[in-house]
Amino acid sequence: MRFERIGREPDYSRYMDLKEGWLDRRIFSDADIYEEELYRIFARSWLFVAHESQIPNSGDFLTTHMGEDAVIVARQPDGSIRVMLNSCPHRGNKVCFADAGNTRRFVCNYHGWGFDTAGELKGMHEEYCYDAGDIDYKNHGLKNVAKVGSYKGLVFATFNGDAPSLEAWLGDFRWYLDMILDNEEGGTEFIGGCIKSVMSANWKFGVENFIGDAYHAGWTHDSGCRSMNDGMPFPPIDMQNSYHASVNGHGWEFGTEGVGDLVLLGRPKVMEYYNKIRPKMAERLGEMRSKIFGSVASASIFPNVSFLPGISTFRQWQPKGPMQFELKTWVIVNKNMPDDIKDEVTKGVMQTFGPGGTFEMDDGENWENCTTVNRGVVTRHERLHYRCGIGRQIEHDTLPGIVYRGQYNDANQRGFYQRWLDMMTHDEFGKMPARPEPQLGNVAETRDLPGLFAL
Amino acid sequence: MTDTATLERPAVAAAASLELTHALTQTLYREARMLDDENYKAWTEMLAEDLHYHMPGIETRYRRDKTDQVTDLTRMAYYNDSKPEILKRLSRLDTGTAWSEDPATRYTHIVTNIEVEHTEKTDEFRVFSNFYAYRNRNERDEDSLIGNRIDIWRQTGEGFQLVKRRAILKHNVMLSKNLNIYI
Repeated sequence: MRFERIGREPDYSRYMDLKEGWLDRRIFSDADIYEEELYRIFARSWLFVAHESQIPNSGDFLTTHMGEDAVIVARQPDGSIRVMLNSCPHRGNKVCFADAGNTRRFVCNYHGWGFDTAGELKGMHEEYCYDAGDIDYKNHGLKNVAKVGSYKGLVFATFNGDAPSLEAWLGDFRWYLDMILDNEEGGTEFIGGCIKSVMSANWKFGVENFIGDAYHAGWTHDSGCRSMNDGMPFPPIDMQNSYHASVNGHGWEFGTEGVGDLVLLGRPKVMEYYNKIRPKMAERLGEMRSKIFGSVASASIFPNVSFLPGISTFRQWQPKGPMQFELKTWVIVNKNMPDDIKDEVTKGVMQTFGPGGTFEMDDGENWENCTTVNRGVVTRHERLHYRCGIGRQIEHDTLPGIVYRGQYNDANQRGFYQRWLDMMTHDEFGKMPARPEPQLGNVAETRDLPGLFAL
Repeated sequence: MTDTATLERPAVAAAASLELTHALTQTLYREARMLDDENYKAWTEMLAEDLHYHMPGIETRYRRDKTDQVTDLTRMAYYNDSKPEILKRLSRLDTGTAWSEDPATRYTHIVTNIEVEHTEKTDEFRVFSNFYAYRNRNERDEDSLIGNRIDIWRQTGEGFQLVKRRAILKHNVMLSKNLNIYI
């Protein structure tokens, strides 16, 4: 499938110089750039669509968006998952109007065209109005996406038949992802429900905040931290033993003290729980990853998913125009946690990173103002500063990816915008440079890889 | 929580007297005024020590879908708080660094449709009401939060105290960037 638009071939490299460390503000509000992002990034990337635990049984479905395209994610009778446009091929109306549920059929309200959970057209109201040959049942179903993949519970889909495998897309970032997805036997699940809110801000501000912006936390969230911890200020940052790691636009910033994010959650029982399983986590993932998990950390998967390992909020920034996104938030927990710990995590997440959470409340206004103020016709031509830590790249013998020392850094943000530029520039995936070249090779399982070079 | 009256209304419930209804109506209005004035000290004094304050997240589901989105407390919720947890959230405002509350948000809470009933406990009353909570801040930020509440209020020596509240916000996608408000 090709995603071409006619008439515009702008040179996106003029919008940034990541070696110098600046960005052009227009990428946060320009309508043409936004349209091009929908084509070149959202229609071509692997996008998160569900956690497997949300649709465990045959006929379970949920609806979401890939970019601005409405899709249905449905569990099939054979246990596989299909993702298809939530749009009837007759006039384009929605065929599913619920956020989630269980069904045998998706039926359009307009003319009663009905589809099975795989999207195949099964019938319609007053079928006799069509003559033989008018309807090709095999080819008038709901358009399925090109590929669906699952990585340790997270389900991704892409409209792009030429996309690399999901494993290759995530690449060495899986070494990091396993800290949240596979830190205990049994894997993870989402707590029931999904909280959605709206911000009048560009989607990239949410992603770049979680991908690397530890720097804002101690200032923006001073009040949140103190409220959750009896007046205690933000945990100190150890610039020597904390890092940014970037892999093809995905990024994880983290300390190695093991407790920072768990402290911020403000639930002592959850801290106790992780301290109890930490020796096992070390056996499972190696010493280094068991020390990273729970530290002050945040992460994003390119292009628009973020989470806080230890705090357990999991979220997606859904683009709704250049100056608006919808934020979907979930709570991710280990499946084998006792119910009371799951409950503690859920309450902790909603008290910190729900819309009424003590941390969340101070983020939205910043991103909204960054978006609207950057749009001023004079303001938009001023560059933004992304140089923090630009000289601190290191080679690390355990950590895969492009690694920078010190978690107060813009390195992962630069890595994200580099990947953004790569995708906006290159027509073919094969021509996009790997950043960096994969170090783990074709391993299927990072659990056996405590450290890169400890093999 | 079995010690307090349930929020679920029995088939038959006795309506409260005019006097009691008036007293609780005034209590709800006073509570709304405390919230409008950001007088959280006075507001939290109106909250019982065994408070449960719940505002569930509501998904859009087909009518045939019997998923319990309201009373299943394991699901995601805007608020699912005890009194100490409410106090913890509020302590953010005392830090001096709650940036998104300075300049202050301007609030109006409108409370209507009040019905008061007796419960199985002689000192506890079930109170139904509707709310319209309006917020405006900075230049043109504004939003409206509308929904229903069911409360249990307990009569004490110093007036009524809120023991349970279930507030159902009618939004699916909350049309705001945050929820820096109590309802």
